[in-house]
Amino acid sequence: MKNKTCLLLAAMLTIFLFSGLLAAQEPKITVLNPLGQPPPIDKIPMAPRIGNLDGKTIYIVDIAFTDTHQLFTEMQKLLSEKYPKTKWEVRIKRGSYGDDDPKLWEEIKANGHAMIMGVGH
Amino acid sequence: MTVEKLGLPTAPVITRTFKDVVESYAFKKGMPGFRFTYVPHPITGVPAELCRKYLQGNDPVTGKPVLDEIIDAITRPLSAEDAKGGVIERPAPRLLAANTEENLQKLFQESGWTDGLPVILPTEARVKEMLKGTSHEPKEHVGRMQASFPHEAWTYNVEQVAVNAVMAGAKPEHLPVILALASIGTTSLSTSTTSFANMVVVNGPIRNEIKMNSGIGALGPFNHANAVIGRAWTLISLNLGASGSPGEIYMGSLGNNLNYNNVCMAENEEELPKGWEPLHVQKGFKPGESVVSTFLGWGITHPDQSFGRPFHEQIPFWLKFISPFSSATLILDPTIIKQLNDNEGFKSKEQLSEWIQKNSMITVGAWKNDYYAVQNFVHPYASQGREPTATWMKMPDDAMIPQFSSPGRINILSVGGGTNYFWKAADFGYGRSASIDKWR
Repeated sequence: MKNKTCLLLAAMLTIFLFSGLLAAQEPKITVLNPLGQPPPIDKIPMAPRIGNLDGKTIYIVDIAFTDTHQLFTEMQKLLSEKYPKTKWEVRIKRGSYGDDDPKLWEEIKANGHAMIMGVGH
Repeated sequence: MTVEKLGLPTAPVITRTFKDVVESYAFKKGMPGFRFTYVPHPITGVPAELCRKYLQGNDPVTGKPVLDEIIDAITRPLSAEDAKGGVIERPAPRLLAANTEENLQKLFQESGWTDGLPVILPTEARVKEMLKGTSHEPKEHVGRMQASFPHEAWTYNVEQVAVNAVMAGAKPEHLPVILALASIGTTSLSTSTTSFANMVVVNGPIRNEIKMNSGIGALGPFNHANAVIGRAWTLISLNLGASGSPGEIYMGSLGNNLNYNNVCMAENEEELPKGWEPLHVQKGFKPGESVVSTFLGWGITHPDQSFGRPFHEQIPFWLKFISPFSSATLILDPTIIKQLNDNEGFKSKEQLSEWIQKNSMITVGAWKNDYYAVQNFVHPYASQGREPTATWMKMPDDAMIPQFSSPGRINILSVGGGTNYFWKAADFGYGRSASIDKWR
């Protein structure tokens, strides 16, 4: 019985060493990187923050995703209750949700101090 | 971020499902510290009372009160890092570190560089052999591709396209088609939550030179060229067009299994009757040119049409499943085209498209209320006065308007082996075409 156990252990060790040897001998190959070239990232400094809200005008902009405007009207109500010394202006961005709206940005730049923007889906 | 650049602090509010997308996007656009606040997903169609609750509750990502977080985003002073500019370079090494074939297959799978199936590893020898399929230099710029606007675009050269062609299992003779496809610069894996599909159509002499299938089973898994060209487009989109990473870039909720092969086929030009031009000729190329064209849509259906009525009369009925925002592509077996030509009086694709456009009508009520894409992408412009949709918005709900805005939105292709009078209807719109000969 003892001999049989020894034989079994020896066989297992042989198999282990042999398979390890095979793995070690598996040739390595070199392949090309399949990825394209990503552009460098130009880090943009964020705008200075406004410190406090008193006397400020904050725009709440709805990007015009379907059937989400209710979030912004509720946001305006809640923020007006919580921060009564601040003017909260709601706007809907022109066009579909992916479109730019330079006129709105001009208006916000001229009359506002900060912007809240959302949402999608 | 546009408004941040103008010098005004901005607090973006996003639904939680899009967290990875917007944070990855902000990093790539140069504002890694952009201060997002998250609300539960979705908001679309959620009643005002529930929206109010969301706003009074906590951000599902950070656990902080939503309104406090919004205010914090515009009032809390910036860190030194957020106030700093600079450039982050992103080098792309040409070779990967040497490893065993098994480990490299694992690396490609786990990195998301494959379509889930095993690939042919792009060794230098295989890529060199692939490059014999074109006269163009390996370093020549081919194009740029992005997952969708406004995601970043990556650029790629001939060798990088050849690498992905090897991975797809292509042969050198397929490379000019794959290069032309890559030069179009359209991803086959758009980020859209709607899970787009795409289609590739090859026209001209190269179809027969590389033995593409346009006959029996053209859309089935029976042909090497059809299989690998279509597959290569998706690998190119993943790896050269930065269009992978579900949840971070790709957001198709259900996904689309047409993306595996992009419905790659050749048009059966030989069976077109006189006057019916192949697709590439319709798009301004010469009959002897080899051209690849792309289409974009979502799906294909099989019309169970009756043989008791003329085909042209049945087609508008079967196209009713298509959104008026989309286009239609009719993939017609040559037997049906022959019938339309010989017995139903249609002497060109254009004539048939015009008839279908005039006879495919929907109610204003359906147009206003039944289609998500119309509501999202058409109504905003209609409400701002863009015609003819501004007029349609004012019409009564039972008034009829065209389902397809012009005959050009109805594409017709000759595909199939003539074994029976069948066809397939797809909601695919024509994208772009590119010369294959330019890339030989």
